Amino acid sequence: MTSSEDVLLQVSNVRYQKKTGTLYVMNERLAWMMDNRDTVSVSHRYADIKLQKISPEGKSKIQLQVVLHDSAASTFQFTNVGGQAEQIRERDSVKDLLMQLLPKFKRKVNKELEEKNKLLTDNPTLLQLYKDLVISKVITSEEFWAQHAPKYVKENVGNKQPIGVSGAFLADIKPQTDGCNGLKYKLTSDIIESIFKTYPAVRRKHMEYVPHKMSESEFWTKFFQSHYFHRDRIHSGNKDIFTECAKIDDQDMDKEIDSGIKDPLVDINSFGDTTFSEGFGVGSDTSANSHTGNIVHQNMIKRFNQHSFMVLKACQHSITENGTAENGQKDAHTSSTVAKDDGDDEDVTVIKKRRIQEKLTYDDLESSSSNVAACLNLSRVDRYLHGPITDTNSSTDVPAEKVSSSVMRELIRLMESPLGSSHRNPAALITPALAINAVGELSPGGSLMKGFQHEASASMTPADIETDLKTLYLSVCELLRHFWACFPPTTPQLEEKATTMHETLHRFHAAKLKPFEDRVIRECSPLSHNITSHLNQLLNSAYRKFAIWQQRKMQHFR
Amino acid sequence: MDTGEDLTESSLLVVVLDVGLSRATTLRNDPVLAGQVLEAVIAFSNAHMMMRLKNLLALVACDTETTEWIYPERKADMSDLRQQDGQHELFNELERTVRRKIAQLLKRSAGSNSKGESMLSGALGRALCYVHRMQQEERQLNARVLVVTANGQSVSQYMNFMNVFFTAQKQNVLIDVCCLGPESSLLQQGCDITGGQYFRPPQPQGLLQYLLWVFLPEPLLRNKLALPPRVKVDYRAACFCHRELVDIGFVCSVCLSIVCKFSPICTTCHTLFKNPGTLPIKPKRKKAKMV
Repeated sequence: MTSSEDVLLQVSNVRYQKKTGTLYVMNERLAWMMDNRDTVSVSHRYADIKLQKISPEGKSKIQLQVVLHDSAASTFQFTNVGGQAEQIRERDSVKDLLMQLLPKFKRKVNKELEEKNKLLTDNPTLLQLYKDLVISKVITSEEFWAQHAPKYVKENVGNKQPIGVSGAFLADIKPQTDGCNGLKYKLTSDIIESIFKTYPAVRRKHMEYVPHKMSESEFWTKFFQSHYFHRDRIHSGNKDIFTECAKIDDQDMDKEIDSGIKDPLVDINSFGDTTFSEGFGVGSDTSANSHTGNIVHQNMIKRFNQHSFMVLKACQHSITENGTAENGQKDAHTSSTVAKDDGDDEDVTVIKKRRIQEKLTYDDLESSSSNVAACLNLSRVDRYLHGPITDTNSSTDVPAEKVSSSVMRELIRLMESPLGSSHRNPAALITPALAINAVGELSPGGSLMKGFQHEASASMTPADIETDLKTLYLSVCELLRHFWACFPPTTPQLEEKATTMHETLHRFHAAKLKPFEDRVIRECSPLSHNITSHLNQLLNSAYRKFAIWQQRKMQHFR
Repeated sequence: MDTGEDLTESSLLVVVLDVGLSRATTLRNDPVLAGQVLEAVIAFSNAHMMMRLKNLLALVACDTETTEWIYPERKADMSDLRQQDGQHELFNELERTVRRKIAQLLKRSAGSNSKGESMLSGALGRALCYVHRMQQEERQLNARVLVVTANGQSVSQYMNFMNVFFTAQKQNVLIDVCCLGPESSLLQQGCDITGGQYFRPPQPQGLLQYLLWVFLPEPLLRNKLALPPRVKVDYRAACFCHRELVDIGFVCSVCLSIVCKFSPICTTCHTLFKNPGTLPIKPKRKKAKMV
């Protein structure tokens, strides 16, 4: 075999299209080679295989059929000389192996496309970027998925939380009467999963018995029939496959009861249902602790306890399997280990105090420790109080001149008249011409209102130009982000990337920005180039940086 | 409705008038213009009172030696409160009071022959105290201070000005400045810090129109109007040793005094500093030499 893949399973005496040969199950494909040949006649990649089928039980021919995506099918017949049992065994081994391998490859091809489509539909920004960059051929589609999309892909990958076991899952299997004294139980895979998690003994039995000794349906029928399932567990006499399970459960319970509760804050003994009996407790103690209760009731209570115990243990196991621990569990474990190590009473109280303290205080709500401030000793106090006086300013200042007394007299005279000149002549306050002048200067576009051009342009752009501008900004910023991330280029890959990004930016400039600017000028000329001036600025600074870098490289190499 | 009246906000305007003319180049030789400026300010104050019944007004004047509280007076002189040519009594009283008191102030300063910087920071302080008092009395009040000055920069009061500006900022009081004389970067900083408007009218004769247009709207209305855009303020600090504006300098971490060159001992608080030496140079990467 010239292929470099590992052969996982090799079965000889397999017939394909009436010819005998050997079937090879390899890492990535299924291959069949005819006897006395050394080239493979049939080879199917797992990625191409849609599903596999086996011939039903009871048929004389033991066959395995592989159906491909394009509906072509290949049938392999197992003809081991050892007889039907051998053939069945071989076929089943191939089938099992395929069952494990196929799922890995099966969904890869479509799944990738599906994932990409889903990403694009979920993130409209990503869709916009894709449209702008790939469809206008600024960058290729592989570059796009390699560089720009990963940020969005990562958001989808999260830690899957393990699903816990519902306490009522057994009760949820509501039986339906079959009409003629029979009961129908509906089992879903979730329920089966819960049963296996809670009762590992049942899982072990399942693995043993199915599918060799009995089928799934038989197993579950027996399960429901057995008293193990029902509340009255009289399991001493029956020869049931589940009696063992019950015994194991009992043993587990006893072990747990013996090991006791490790959490020092839980006091089981105080759970008793002590009420004041007649006579306010002074009278004789009768019913509280008597054991005259029904055996049936006790059994039921024992069943309940066992069930709850198994459910809790199942959740605990799944948590510790995954490596993360809930807070409560962690506390229980740490406190239990401490208790086991020392076992002193003193340590138990310490543990209790610690536990209570943990519940009371929140670290991030406490105030941070106060800093010790240094004492301020000033030598030039006036400097500190008055600050620096800029000499230069005062030199250019107007020297103070005494106001001439005549001016002052005139002013005082003006002011002393009780009412101003406006009472006689309204225009004395302000002439109309001056007022109009002032208004003109202060209106938008006037000499005093120079800074408003950019702000006014925001209200002048039509909506479609605005949206186009937004998408342009998105694409440019994404490209620029990758460009600037390449600097300083320390490795050859970064240098390469910088060069490609530089070319991409030029392509983008020509393909997207220039047409947009032309369009803006055509449609809405008052805006002219102001609206894209920032974009141009961004691109120009990127070009400049690249040019400087190239220059430096040239200089170094000289 | 009573409840309607309670809900409206009243607006307090405090006008700080700088009457010191010794450094006012435009006004000190032109009494008529100076008189016009004062009358414009009075008319503007009336306009403010006219905007809403609940509006409040105060006036502080300052010159080179004192600050004087002009309006409202504590003891109102009710003698000549007679209507004249149909003017609203409030406006009448305002005008009379302001004119009378400013005349008194001018007489005093004319007699004393002083010259120099006006006590503008002190007047601003008094204005802020009044604002604080009114904020306790009135439930809903927005306050602003208008500074009308013809003098330029008053550098000797730098620290006082800064204190006033930051106090105003804390109290949510806007400080507007109408500057009739040379540009004052200090007052520009104040306007920038408190969110007020700095304006320099190109023609002092048209002052009333400029005042009405730019300074009459209340703070909340201003961002809905197209007012002159903000100027770029020069926030550079001056170094303590040469008193020159510096862009990059050294600051003592104990007393926060700014110096332009490093000195091992801070001159104000005598803290010792280690010599930083030259800035650390990044080791140059050795590029492969082409053979």
